[in-house]
Amino acid sequence: MLEGIMIGLTTALSIQNLLFVMMGCLAGTFIGMLPGLGPMSAIALMIPIAATLDPSAGIILMAAVYYGAIFGGSTSSILINAPGVASTVATSFDGYPMAKSGKAGKALAIAAYSSFSGGVIAALFLLVAAPFLASVSLSFQSTDYFALMVLGLVAVAAFAGKGDMAKALLMTVIGLMLSTVGTDQTQGVPRFTLGMIDLVDGISFLLLVMATFALSEALMAILKPKDDADRLKEKEASENLGSMAVSKAEVREMAPVIGRSSVLGFLIGVLPGAGATIASFLAYGTEQRLAGPEKGKQFGKGSVRGLAAPETANNAAATGSFVPLLTLGIPGSGTTAIMLGALIGYGIQPGPRLYIDQPEIFWSVIVSMWIGNIVLLILNLPLIPYIARVLAIPSRFLLPLILFFSLIGVYFVSFNTFDIQLMVLFAIAAVILRILDFPMAPMILGFILGGMMEENLRRALLINNDSWSFLWERPLTLTILIIAALCLVAPFLTGKIREYRARAAEGTSASGD
Amino acid sequence: MPISKDRLGGLLLLAFCIAYAFLSQQIRLLPFQESSAFHARTMPEVLSVLGIGLSLIVIAFPGSKARVELAGHDWLKVVLFLALMSAYGLTIRPMGFIASTSLFLMIGFWMLGERRPLYLIAVAVPLVVLFWVLMTQGLDVFIEPLPTFLREGN
Repeated sequence: MLEGIMIGLTTALSIQNLLFVMMGCLAGTFIGMLPGLGPMSAIALMIPIAATLDPSAGIILMAAVYYGAIFGGSTSSILINAPGVASTVATSFDGYPMAKSGKAGKALAIAAYSSFSGGVIAALFLLVAAPFLASVSLSFQSTDYFALMVLGLVAVAAFAGKGDMAKALLMTVIGLMLSTVGTDQTQGVPRFTLGMIDLVDGISFLLLVMATFALSEALMAILKPKDDADRLKEKEASENLGSMAVSKAEVREMAPVIGRSSVLGFLIGVLPGAGATIASFLAYGTEQRLAGPEKGKQFGKGSVRGLAAPETANNAAATGSFVPLLTLGIPGSGTTAIMLGALIGYGIQPGPRLYIDQPEIFWSVIVSMWIGNIVLLILNLPLIPYIARVLAIPSRFLLPLILFFSLIGVYFVSFNTFDIQLMVLFAIAAVILRILDFPMAPMILGFILGGMMEENLRRALLINNDSWSFLWERPLTLTILIIAALCLVAPFLTGKIREYRARAAEGTSASGD
Repeated sequence: MPISKDRLGGLLLLAFCIAYAFLSQQIRLLPFQESSAFHARTMPEVLSVLGIGLSLIVIAFPGSKARVELAGHDWLKVVLFLALMSAYGLTIRPMGFIASTSLFLMIGFWMLGERRPLYLIAVAVPLVVLFWVLMTQGLDVFIEPLPTFLREGN
């Protein structure tokens, strides 16, 4: 492991890669701060640049953008109560009241220290967990991978909430369907190309991500323009931040919260589908319960604990989500799905072999997480008063620029104008589906995993002489599939149990009356 | 009767899944492939069944009864921006990167309310030129900057 860390340090600490970490953190913070644009859009916008770099530098850049975007999202949550992404919603619960009471600088500093600690502690866990899981997963076969992918897709839908589960599953299937467009990999048969030569190679994942995230986010902002009061609020918030000093008493209050939330965030991040949003809400709820009645009342009114907990947990979960990506090649979230797509673009197949065959990539990603967090703390935090001015850029300039960067990002990779037209088509579909509250992340996950899933299923059937019995005969495959089935059933079961309990409680109180 | 968001989305995706199912039957297979347990149509067929089934579930048991609100949205502007993006795709080659992108940005800024010609030009043109220099000199990604009639060989 020490040897690996040294390889990672040598790669990540090269001047070129250090520059990419700094650039990525800054660009990520900048993009993440724009309301509506989250880490997924930020990473997607960086892919065309990353594609021109060597794999290590490209992945380091994207990881840095990821952290930067989470940090940027927290900043807009705190300053203007406009979380760029769901994972920073909990941050606004206490961050925004703190900012409203004239302590915006302090709130940003607490968020930065918590993010830093969460990220660094979780990277330490990753250092231990990833090689261990990679060595275990070396014994995995195609059948297990197929089952793991089913679990990953189902888990994302299962965490979407009871009412939205069917919608999330449907969007996953739509993503899987889109992944079948193009020439079939083994039999060379064209599928769903509609006779168009431009579709023979399939749909580019960058195109789909840009159209469904960056483009559609910008179009949604055009569709629902902000009023003048909101714009004024953004301008004022970006200009008056106040002091960034954090007192010793506040540090003492934060320390145990950070410790607990790091562990919680990391563990939830490792689970496929759960991700930073659930981690941040869970950490917030846990700390509120642990705080006791008196301190608990301060939650929602500018509590230090209430701000530190979700900020630590969402960064720890972001780090945790790299575990299944690096060790199994299965993304646990939409963001890591985009990174998986980028890795595949480099010709790298993440999974247990990555740890053995390309240790420099494996370790440099882990080491760059520490460096990225340090950069965020020492570079971004002092620069926040200046970076926050981005919130004051008029949307009439910003939105066409986002559209331009999205379109040109895809065009610069393929140099095919058909791609721009296809993006427009997907953007229309994405805007309609967003208005109808259909989630986009499961579709991207389905799209990225679709090809691999089909390939693994095909291989599994080949090994098993065209028999589907591997689904129940191989214990590991069966176990994973049972967990996937439980993920599907659990929300219904817990809902029914809750209903039953409520009815029982009503019955008891009625008979008591 | 107004339709809920979930039901409308479910119906649209049901139509997509039915079209997908229909097209999946158009995938050509060689005679020996048809008898194998897994061929180019297998995954699309499974996905068609799943997609149609899930769409029907969403339509039959919508998670929310919220309705689509069309008021308060600037639909015309979105349609115009979609047209602008499509036109950008059509003009980027014949007009060259600098002219087509500058025009795209200037029209975009104008559509969102910037009316001062100096601002339109001063923001768009230098940014596009800087971006082109960065891409070609910094990242070695070449894109034709000039319109067709100004290029060498014409």
